[in-house]
Amino acid sequence: MNNDINQTITRVAEIIINELKLEDVTPGTFDADLDLVDEVGIDSMDLATIALVLRDEHGIRIDEDDYPKLTTVRIIAEYIDNKLTIGE
Amino acid sequence: MTAQTEKQQEYKFSDIIADPVIKERWEKVRRYFFLRESTYDMTNRCNVRCEGCYYFTGEKQFADENTDPTAWQQLLEAEKKRGITFVVLAGAEPSLVPQLCEVCYRVIPLGAIASNGLKPIPPEIDYRIHISVWGNDRTSLAIRKAPDMLIRQMANYQDDPRAVFVYTFTPVNIDEALEVTGLLAAGGQKITFNMFSAPVGYNGHLRHTSETLAKTRQVMIELLAEFPETILFSPYNIVAHTGQKGLHELFSCSYPRMNPSTDIGLGRSFRQYRTNLQWDRDAACCVPDTDCDDCRHYAAGSAVVTARMYRHATDPVTFSAWLDYVDTYLAVWVKGYDKGRNLCNTLTPPPNN
Repeated sequence: MNNDINQTITRVAEIIINELKLEDVTPGTFDADLDLVDEVGIDSMDLATIALVLRDEHGIRIDEDDYPKLTTVRIIAEYIDNKLTIGE
Repeated sequence: MTAQTEKQQEYKFSDIIADPVIKERWEKVRRYFFLRESTYDMTNRCNVRCEGCYYFTGEKQFADENTDPTAWQQLLEAEKKRGITFVVLAGAEPSLVPQLCEVCYRVIPLGAIASNGLKPIPPEIDYRIHISVWGNDRTSLAIRKAPDMLIRQMANYQDDPRAVFVYTFTPVNIDEALEVTGLLAAGGQKITFNMFSAPVGYNGHLRHTSETLAKTRQVMIELLAEFPETILFSPYNIVAHTGQKGLHELFSCSYPRMNPSTDIGLGRSFRQYRTNLQWDRDAACCVPDTDCDDCRHYAAGSAVVTARMYRHATDPVTFSAWLDYVDTYLAVWVKGYDKGRNLCNTLTPPPNN
């Protein structure tokens, strides 16, 4: 389980880095608990873009109402794993 | 192919943007996702008084007027610091306080001013300028009590790349839109469309009905076909703004007034400042004191429809329609942004959430 979540965390970080064109950070060094809104500066449109990439990869739907909850890479990864576990 | 037939197939987002035309438009618009707006009432005064004006409804018209440029500069610097990158100067008539508009421009250089166009705004203030038109000059005289409005507006903003005329459709001016658009086209101007959205408690003759919404939709379709170079609009704008359902019911308004979340997006960053430089979260939206059930306002749609990208990424047609909407929004609001041709020329239904 830990291994799975770590893989998801790394992949989510990679997507965020790619989509936001972040520099000076790699998926391995991205702090999974960094607040994406306050400390990285992402907004709802960025999050929607990331959600679409995640939808493509995992076949899960991320409700617009859930965006406010998705504040860190770790929370996004757990959200994905939870959706996959319940078989959505 | 229509959205309905395409929806029989499930698309990945990567498949949708694999189309080079869609991809190009997507990359064009997403460069502007950094825009974070707030709006500011600049003065309590106006040089015309229009029936159904949202500004002179509710409490905001009674706020004290802060005319101190230093106070405005401090406010805008604080706004910039909290991440605001785009300002909308409105209410009641910003052209009456050009010195304050210039202060705003010096601090945050991206923005738009909503004006009636009767007093030219100095060219140093290089914001987009929206000039409100409520019909031909006979109707403007009746509703806005001002003679020769369009003639004066066009003269004031002749060859001015900042200007976009905003034609507000009411039940009584639908048939005049052709005349007005023709005049603006001949003058080399740009025009976009707005829908009269009733203020809270307004039950006058300007409130749209099912019949006038349908009639407006038809006229918009005809005008867009006849004046594609003049009109900044798309078929999906027509769908979104002339539906029997208002914007909130269709797209779930994301402004603070209707959105309790303060975590991300407009619910987090948007504020509507009054002339006393104060704001009230419970009243914060781009057209406060509008009846939310009747809101089809162009400014509201610009944020509300645009914010709903995820639900439009279902198939190439629906996503293209959304891209047209965003392309239109940027052309209307951001000076220097050129609108591309519309990618989707059918009336695509809004997606379900």
